[in-house]
Amino acid sequence: MLLPSCSPRTSLVVQRLHRAFHDKRWPGWQVIIGIETHAQIRSPEKLFSSSLTSSLGETPNIHVSLFDAAFPGTLPSLNQNCVDLALRTAIALNSRIQTCSSFDRKHYFYSDLPAGYQITQHYAPIAVEGSLRIPDRDTPIRIKQIQLEQDTAKSTFDPRTRTSNIDLNRAGTGLLEIVTEPDLRSPEEAGAYVRALQAMLRAIGASDGNMEAGSLRCDVNVSVNPIGEPAGTRCEIKNLNSVKFMQAAIIHEVHRQRDLLSGDDAVVPQETRGFNQDTFETFKMRSKEDAPDYRYMPDPNLGVLLITPERIEETARTMPELPWVTRIRLLERYKLSEQDVDILLNLDSDREDHTGAVAYFDRLCTEDRNPRIVFNWMIHELLGRLNAAKLTFAANPLSTIQLGELIDLVHSGAITGTSGKLLLREMLADPTSSQTPTERARSLSLLSTSSGELDVTSLCAVAIAALPAEASAFRNGHKNVLNKIIGRVMKDSRGRADSKGVKECLIALLEQGGGQ
Amino acid sequence: MPTTASSMMLKDFTPPFDATVVTLLREWGAEIIGKANCDEFGMGSLNTHSVHGPVVNPFQAHSSSVPWVERERRSAGGSSGGSAAAVVAGMCSAALSTDTGGSTRLPASYCGIVGFKPSYGLISRWGVISFADSLDCVGIMTKDVSGTRHVFEALNVYDPKDPTSASANAREMAHRASAGTWTGLKGLRIGIPQEYFPSELSDEVLTPVRAAIEKLASEGAKIIPVSLPSTQYALSAYYVISSAEANSNMSRYDGVQYGKPIYMSSFRRCSSFGSGLHVPLPPASDLTNTASIYSRTRSAGFGPEVQKRILLGTYALTADAFDNYFLQAQRIRQLVRDDFNRVFHVRDFLSYSPKTPTAERSEPWAVPDDEVSHPLRTGVDVLIHPSAIRTAPLLGAPETDGLGAYVQDVLTVPASLAGLPALSVPLRPRDQEWPVGISVVGQWGCDEMVLRVGQVIESFQRRTD
Repeated sequence: MLLPSCSPRTSLVVQRLHRAFHDKRWPGWQVIIGIETHAQIRSPEKLFSSSLTSSLGETPNIHVSLFDAAFPGTLPSLNQNCVDLALRTAIALNSRIQTCSSFDRKHYFYSDLPAGYQITQHYAPIAVEGSLRIPDRDTPIRIKQIQLEQDTAKSTFDPRTRTSNIDLNRAGTGLLEIVTEPDLRSPEEAGAYVRALQAMLRAIGASDGNMEAGSLRCDVNVSVNPIGEPAGTRCEIKNLNSVKFMQAAIIHEVHRQRDLLSGDDAVVPQETRGFNQDTFETFKMRSKEDAPDYRYMPDPNLGVLLITPERIEETARTMPELPWVTRIRLLERYKLSEQDVDILLNLDSDREDHTGAVAYFDRLCTEDRNPRIVFNWMIHELLGRLNAAKLTFAANPLSTIQLGELIDLVHSGAITGTSGKLLLREMLADPTSSQTPTERARSLSLLSTSSGELDVTSLCAVAIAALPAEASAFRNGHKNVLNKIIGRVMKDSRGRADSKGVKECLIALLEQGGGQ
Repeated sequence: MPTTASSMMLKDFTPPFDATVVTLLREWGAEIIGKANCDEFGMGSLNTHSVHGPVVNPFQAHSSSVPWVERERRSAGGSSGGSAAAVVAGMCSAALSTDTGGSTRLPASYCGIVGFKPSYGLISRWGVISFADSLDCVGIMTKDVSGTRHVFEALNVYDPKDPTSASANAREMAHRASAGTWTGLKGLRIGIPQEYFPSELSDEVLTPVRAAIEKLASEGAKIIPVSLPSTQYALSAYYVISSAEANSNMSRYDGVQYGKPIYMSSFRRCSSFGSGLHVPLPPASDLTNTASIYSRTRSAGFGPEVQKRILLGTYALTADAFDNYFLQAQRIRQLVRDDFNRVFHVRDFLSYSPKTPTAERSEPWAVPDDEVSHPLRTGVDVLIHPSAIRTAPLLGAPETDGLGAYVQDVLTVPASLAGLPALSVPLRPRDQEWPVGISVVGQWGCDEMVLRVGQVIESFQRRTD
């Protein structure tokens, strides 16, 4: 360290800057990335009509109002629920909410755009100047703006019949367009940003944020420049629908642009590019000269959207807990490890309905339970069983009361850990049973009637008698055979016996020659 | 019933829903007998730009006995010429129309009937095919003012389906203000805007309008000359704004949902779509190119006037021209509003936010003296001016082409830009003369006041019998 006064924080920044500037994949080059994300708003109704939003795989063209199909004579009607979710997003992203925003029409001809224009917020977006923190980076990513807009319809081409099919279910669904400043410096940071945004949108119920299902889509702007020189010309890569593809597209783009800049022309033409998921390469869609002029025009029907300070306060007051707040709470209150917190947060995609993993964990962690033990039961045992049955946590049939009772049975010594696992298996096999875990443990004879009453000595004697060959082998010095006898005792005790005690008892019996 | 907007684009279009105004009229007990001709999508001032052909003005002076086929073929005005013709021909007791820049008042003036464009936002636009949303109003045409008032009362209802529908509060405030303090004509303050008497104004219009104003004065109204200096820019601003919005609204007619897509390259094949083709198609190019299908479809489906305005609007909205055209036009629109607000006694309830709480004022609707330096001290109740610069022009006359047609709207567009109620009342023509209309314009929401003044003017016409 050069300066003794240099704080650890500053040195960390220096280290990271150093790492970013000297990426082994492209030493000597700086990469500048900005991301535009389109997140479908999780609202039951569309942005400007009362028809329902739909999910992937629904029958085409069933959720379509006259307005969605752009019938002449129809008019938009703003859905305030979408506005509320945009406000939550704006607050979560620390941004400045514009008390007066407005809607504009963006014009282009395409078969999946029935009106010939998309209503968006070009001139006065609902929020500006926000920020989002991502892991392993000290400065937050600056958010340029958040705007409300309509999604388009969906067109699919059937090559067999050579026809384009238009599905208007998606037409008019509300989108949040969230635009960053060009603050990201590596594909990994870009990925971390999208994941952080995704977790936040899910936590506040603003969007499903499902990239594969198309409810979260990214356009990425990438430019490269030799370190110390001004930023290069950017290219935009459209419609990336997974973090993996986004990172691959950025990596390919960095190499491509670097090669161009190192070539004879030393120029990167400004382009809009697509990403080929089979070759992992980007390809040219259109050049800057072909860029359409969208002829933005203020929408003459919708007027201005006024947001009162009271509404902002109310939204902030009723805001669900944000993921980074949850993280700190889990770390501090329950003393979980970073890794365990990550597991819980990743599981927690549906928190608004209070069925999410964190809420489940919170309810389980009563004062008399050890959070680490609760975590083990919930994640390693319960989730492990569910995963083995190819189920997700959302399909968990057990209430926190049921699982809590099971944990307490084990913790109090009423049943052994092994019995607890058996009990869990039984509960999952028949989750609708009216029996409480204690009643069920009793009917399965898992309960130790009281401590010490389990006659370990006689069980051991029975086992030695049942396995005479093994007993004599042990006496002849084959100590490993003991495990087989222990196994027999454990089985006979239905897991209630303590294996360490069984071992000691067996050795004692065998050495005194009992059971012969 | 099909709704074609007089366009090839909507030749076979039958809407699956009723407009709010139609539903209201039916609830009120009205019978809908048909839909009328108009300029394509409301774009025109003479009802000559229609796939159904021009509307011939059916007006005939009482004394005339010339058979129909031998009469002069004059324009009924536009864009709602068909509605005006239906009323003047006695086919219906009332007709609805639209009014974006004068499309109700101009035909009413040319045909000798009452035409009313209410305040913007009072009558629902749900179901009205948009030309320029920020200007479009549903208009009412009848033979007399009381008929117009009846229809207006049936339609003057808040509609949640129209985001520009005026709130109950704004309606209530304006209605109270509209009651006025005058009885008969005593105490009524009428403004005469000097800019509405341009040199183009023909004598056949000026003479009866002047006589009507003199009559109002002699009956006790106070006549006050006023100036609305931004009027001279209003027409240009109107054509930029309305064309920009039209360009946007016409985007949906691209052959995918509305209009017939044209895939074939040969002109003959295209011609089979009907005789409505207005322009030859562009030369054959790449048929697999979607852009060329759009351009063919739109070239064949839209008439020349609509195409002209789409192009004008497209230009006004391009990134390079936006500031100089569209935004500039919006600034002029505000100046036009400011002009009106300066001369009216009643405030603009749509955009006015008082500095002093309304409740503390004895007359909450009046512009407080300390907030506006009023050149007229108290302002006027209504403005009166000719509805058009001339009487109905002959169909096919050279002045009905190009810019000549646009000038027809010069007296009607300011009220449209400001969203004000405007009523054209026919002045009784002398024998063998074509009708002339006089316009009464009030502050936003003062529709009742405008109708009352209109009714007084109408009563003078009867008395001269």
